[in-house]
Amino acid sequence: MSLLYDEGQLAIAAETRKVLEARVNTKEMLALLEQQGLFHAPFWETAKQQGWTALALPEAYGGLDLTLVELGLIALQTGRTLAGAPFLTTSYGAARAVLDHGSEALKDAWLPRLASGEAIGAIAFAEGQEPVPALPTVTYAHGLLNGIKPSVSGGSQAHLAIVLASEAGTPVLVAADLTGAERQVFHTFDNSRCTANLVFQNTSATLLASGDAALQAALHVLALQSVVTAHEQTGGAEALIEQARDYANTRRAFGQPIGAFQSVKHRIAELYGLVELARANALQAAASEGQPGFLKVAAAARIQATEAYDTAARDCVQVHGGIGVTWEGGLHLHMRRSRTLAVEQGNLLFWEDVLVDQLTGEMA
Amino acid sequence: MSDIEAYSERAREWLQSVAGEFGGAVRKGLSDAENLALGRRYLKARFDAGYAGINWSPEFGGQGLTHIEKVAFEAEEMKFSMPSGFFGISLGMPVPILMKYCEDKAFAKERVLKALQGEEIWCQLFSEPAGGSDLAGLRLRAEQDGNGWKLNGQKLWTSFAQYSDYGVIVARTDPTVAKHKGLTYFWVDMKSPGVEVRPVKLAAGDHMVNEVFFDDVRIDDSNRLSPVGGGFSVAMATLMIERYTATDSAGFGPHLDLFISLAKETKIGGKPAIEDGRIRQQIARNYAMRNGLDAITARAMLMMRAGMEPGPEGSLNKLVSVRSRQKLSELAIDLQGTDALHYDDQASSKDDWQASWIGAPTGRIAGGADEMLLNTIAERILGLPQDHRPDKGVPFNQIPA
Ligand SMILES: Cc1cc2nc3c(=O)[nH]c(=O)nc-3n(C[C@H](O)[C@H](O)[C@H](O)COP(=O)(O)OP(=O)(O)OC[C@H]3O[C@@H](n4cnc5c(N)ncnc54)[C@H](O)[C@@H]3O)c2cc1C
Repeated sequence: MSLLYDEGQLAIAAETRKVLEARVNTKEMLALLEQQGLFHAPFWETAKQQGWTALALPEAYGGLDLTLVELGLIALQTGRTLAGAPFLTTSYGAARAVLDHGSEALKDAWLPRLASGEAIGAIAFAEGQEPVPALPTVTYAHGLLNGIKPSVSGGSQAHLAIVLASEAGTPVLVAADLTGAERQVFHTFDNSRCTANLVFQNTSATLLASGDAALQAALHVLALQSVVTAHEQTGGAEALIEQARDYANTRRAFGQPIGAFQSVKHRIAELYGLVELARANALQAAASEGQPGFLKVAAAARIQATEAYDTAARDCVQVHGGIGVTWEGGLHLHMRRSRTLAVEQGNLLFWEDVLVDQLTGEMA
Repeated sequence: MSDIEAYSERAREWLQSVAGEFGGAVRKGLSDAENLALGRRYLKARFDAGYAGINWSPEFGGQGLTHIEKVAFEAEEMKFSMPSGFFGISLGMPVPILMKYCEDKAFAKERVLKALQGEEIWCQLFSEPAGGSDLAGLRLRAEQDGNGWKLNGQKLWTSFAQYSDYGVIVARTDPTVAKHKGLTYFWVDMKSPGVEVRPVKLAAGDHMVNEVFFDDVRIDDSNRLSPVGGGFSVAMATLMIERYTATDSAGFGPHLDLFISLAKETKIGGKPAIEDGRIRQQIARNYAMRNGLDAITARAMLMMRAGMEPGPEGSLNKLVSVRSRQKLSELAIDLQGTDALHYDDQASSKDDWQASWIGAPTGRIAGGADEMLLNTIAERILGLPQDHRPDKGVPFNQIPA
């Protein structure tokens, strides 16, 4: 897999950008902040129509048989315009878990619906500070789940959840139909993520993997999602640099554009460096899927992208002065999104540890 | 295997075959003079093996290949610590400029062949006490003298001038016009009467750079490599030649594996340092950063092979890698505790943290200081405004000193 996008891939990126810029606007994104558990319906409709939901799934299940590279390109564009829902990532993660570990019947039941976007998937691994708990408090026995998975992205809307639970002291990965499950929606600083606690009370679920294999499988799904998210973060950071640059070129103070002050211009130049490092890492990780060392480069991509988006959000607001902190200006949408993406799918601290474990293991 | 991979492999085999004679292991403890002598022999061997002037025209003794093969060879060569350092600037900038701009082709060819074989060395006499980042602020004068020119003034920071046979030099020929417009570019014989080279000892204890004084040094008009007053653009062209060179995401410091090994061998509060969150974070961040730079480089190579111009992000390497090498070297010294105080002046910055640390600042200054690189990114890539420049458009002799 190449580190160079081909013409087809570049066309996907250009088309995605055009479509999104026409349909997503700041005003509607701001409105979503004041509601709980809702997402931007036009965004999700677009994703379905454009086939983004089907993109990286096999043709046999209604997918388009493309790869993480193309999905990454879409995610980068959705990051630029602030995706109105988390489902491109969460459904992809759920679908991959089913695809890689599910029975034929489970695949037939879910993959075509996930590919069309008719069904939404969610990943429910984390419990508080542990992105992949070794012994989750949610239990699995006789095919039934019990307990609460807190703060699941996409949880208020999902039809299927991939849950990391414990069965008699052993970690298991299961797939649960959420039809009967209770969802507790609560206020977050980025409400369109549809974050909710999933409450399982004898919810039936299908076993995907057990023991160490369950933890490995969960980590792999998280890594796949992280690569998608790294692209999204890179896109968000890229959009912020452009805004910072444009503002610095037009806003004047002390008789010159503020971009002529080095503390402003160097700040933006530093952001450029962070974004290019994030972009290069993200593409390399996407192109390495299925190869040895994928976990390592996925972790690197995630770390670099989080640093880029956080820094871009912080600095872009600063460059804008007072306008940067108004509700209407909307830069806080990126602030909120950057921190939300930073903790979904494992935070920086988690991925740093994963990466160092990979590096030291490699040398040992 | 692609053609370029096959090329790299052949290069690696050749390098391996001569490593026992020239490589890093046999160079430990050699004096500068011994290293230089060995370097000259290495350049001759490299020339004979067909790895000299890789992307230069065969007319000048080159191999007539592209910068892709050149960069591929450099990437392999870097791993062997060959004694080619004394010739890096010579073959990197002044000699290609001579090839391109010298009208006396027979003379140029003779010089190029000798330089490629390590017999002659060229230096680059640009910077001065008053003209570093602000290159166009230089003062060394060239005044018309009969049918030639007379040079008076001082250069500073001239790498390897003490070993050089020739140099390229930018001088002020007209102080009455704006600073960029009054400069002219020449070559000069370093053995000319009136040239005096005084080595400057650097912080690490070495003498790679020099002050060079010019006292009524006579040169012919045929030494001129630019139109009169057109020297600045040739100077910029000189700096652009180095666009296609092998880069090192370690910032020419130690590989991250060496830091990980150190963290495994050392302790913090009685526990292995590799288990300490502060150390782990630095390893992870540095890995991600270097991996990003490597991916940028790999992509640039692919673009070149596909006949495309690589993106401007390649310019990040020096800025990002050297300053992080500097910080990581400090942390590596911390990790060693007071054991770190042992110091070897001769150690290589590629495998010794103290050497890497003490040498790091030069990497952030030479060849464009960090701040100038940030300006270039901001202005050329992002389209942000130039700084306020009070000397803009002002005749050089009216700029307040
Ligand atoms: C080891 C070494 C080898 C060298 N070899 C050569 C050589 O072979 N030939 C040669 O010609 N030169 C050589 N140089 C010189 C090198 O190019 C200059 O040192 C460099 O360009 C910086 O110039 P300066 O030292 O005058 O610092 P200054 O230009 O005085 O800079 C001092 C500080 O001010 C900052 N600064 C300056 N202008 C600006 C600005 N506009 N905005 C923000 N900050 C600014 C700089 O970034 C720096 O931090 C070498 C230098 C070193 C250290």
